[in-house]
Amino acid sequence: MDGMETAQFSAVVVLGLLVFFYGGTFLLSTRIGKKTENADGYMTAGNNIGFGISAASMTATWIWASSMYASATSGYTYGISGPIHYGLWGALMILFIYPFGKRIRSVAPKAHTLAEVMYARHGRSSQLMLAGSNIVGSLISLMSNFIAGGVLISLLSPFNFTQGVFAVAAGVLLYTLWSGFRASVLTDFVQVVAMLGAVAVIVPFIFVAADFPAAFETGADNLTPQQGDFFSSEAFMEQGAPYIAAVLAYAIGNQTIAQRLFAVKQSLIKPTFVTATIGYGAMVIGVGMLGVLALYLGFEPSGGDLNNLIPEMAATYLPPALLAVFFIMIIGALSSTADSDLSALSSIMMADVYGQNVTGKEKANPRTMLLIGRLTMVLATAAAVAFASLQLSILDLLVFVGALWGALVFPVLASFYWEKVTSRAFTLSVLSALAVFLPVRFSWISVDGFFGLVVDVLSIIGVGVVLGLMVFGFLGAKPARIVGALAVVLTAPFAIGSLHEYATLSGSLVAYSVSTVVCWAMSVGNNERFDFAVIAERTGDFDDGSAAATALSEDAAPAAAGAGTPRRRSGDAEDPDGDPQPTGSK
Amino acid sequence: MSSFALSAYILMWPVIVAIVLFVISRAFFREWAEARRNGEGMI
Repeated sequence: MDGMETAQFSAVVVLGLLVFFYGGTFLLSTRIGKKTENADGYMTAGNNIGFGISAASMTATWIWASSMYASATSGYTYGISGPIHYGLWGALMILFIYPFGKRIRSVAPKAHTLAEVMYARHGRSSQLMLAGSNIVGSLISLMSNFIAGGVLISLLSPFNFTQGVFAVAAGVLLYTLWSGFRASVLTDFVQVVAMLGAVAVIVPFIFVAADFPAAFETGADNLTPQQGDFFSSEAFMEQGAPYIAAVLAYAIGNQTIAQRLFAVKQSLIKPTFVTATIGYGAMVIGVGMLGVLALYLGFEPSGGDLNNLIPEMAATYLPPALLAVFFIMIIGALSSTADSDLSALSSIMMADVYGQNVTGKEKANPRTMLLIGRLTMVLATAAAVAFASLQLSILDLLVFVGALWGALVFPVLASFYWEKVTSRAFTLSVLSALAVFLPVRFSWISVDGFFGLVVDVLSIIGVGVVLGLMVFGFLGAKPARIVGALAVVLTAPFAIGSLHEYATLSGSLVAYSVSTVVCWAMSVGNNERFDFAVIAERTGDFDDGSAAATALSEDAAPAAAGAGTPRRRSGDAEDPDGDPQPTGSK
Repeated sequence: MSSFALSAYILMWPVIVAIVLFVISRAFFREWAEARRNGEGMI
């Protein structure tokens, strides 16, 4: 199959498809557009959206172009179990976060970002750590989606990569800029219909067009024993295991998930997350099966670049009409995630930077917030387009950021359940985890000797932490401790002496373990108890604040009037670093 | 795995995708109809 020519669209056809897609989504967004948008609606759509839209939005956001490409790459590289080791664990990221999501919503029903809740819980340092990691993650994701759009357009049309990147960036900004998150979730429904509908048709079509199931017999020799084994240890250790370690980290570190968590009706969190889990898993694994089919066929992507695998499979086996559907599917996948990233970034700048750190919640002017949100979208789009030209390794960046988020998982989750966790414990545990993670991940210190043994021990504890947290969300503390301890005992004999050889996996695991051990050690002796009821008071709507009332009544409230320190309620204590302390601490 | 089992394994995912699509679409249109009946916006 090497050298097979791929079908291409003419410039007119591609322009027509882009105008159809982005023009259609823009028109749809105008149906809900308001002359005067509401700042809270711009960030979370009023915390009250229904199951249909929220499930569609969660599914569409979590599916991005790279996940489809990576799943197919996994199928092509690791064989029949490859797509499972990509898509299943990605799907479980959504499932495992929902019990924590219910808890987060119960203590902060009207919040906009997780970082905003951390400000209410601990103060500025923990908020900025989480917000900073969210910003980095969203920018990388945005850049990655623009790159995927540029590659697709350059592959299937006469336009080049740069023109493709600009077309996608402009299209996404067009329909997201005015109504923000509200436009993002509404258009997500249309995009998810296009994506899921396309997969339901395209995968069976290619299966038949490529002469399967007969090709399972004729192409069996193209698979190694590991690739043909559904229980391949190679696929698990190299693909699946690092993803299991990242399951909770991505869900905690990704503001797009948190934003939907705060937007959906509280009673619908469980069905929304469960549906999105199944939808994401089936969709991504289904597309990944194209990689398995390519492996049986002996299909060689041009230039050996596995990112060309799916587009070239589609171009080879699909007629023009279905190729256009495929094109819309990929554009829909990357656009739905890109608009979510823009909404996430704007919310962080509106709520965490301006709303909490510049003016304070009570004095934040919703109109200024909206302006900041829209400016953020424009600047983030420009930055992502600029970074896209650098052609950085997206997968490496994502794995790195995912491991960074691993350092935040225990301190963040513990802060929602355990009254003893302090701001200092949060901050120092995250920083110490990063201090160990970096030399392990990038092999700055040789792991041949004693340090290797230390890394193995910390990684084994990390396995216990990850599995324990997963169980804790569903079953509570006691089963979690049992599972965590069992995981450590059962893993130790196999992992001592070998786990440090997997730098990506062990780097992620030490981030979990060090942050957990330090956070626990610094909190367990603390006699103060945090009152979680305080969080709801500090994270309410911005449009209900005094500045909002002034803006509405005077129609021209000065944006920066009263800018300064956040207003404190009587009884609020002053922390040495200037952060507010909980009124409920006792 | 036999060809039959492999075929089922490959093709089960588009079927699940179609079911999820049906569930989400049905919920969306029900909510849309309800919002129209109540004279409210969906979002």
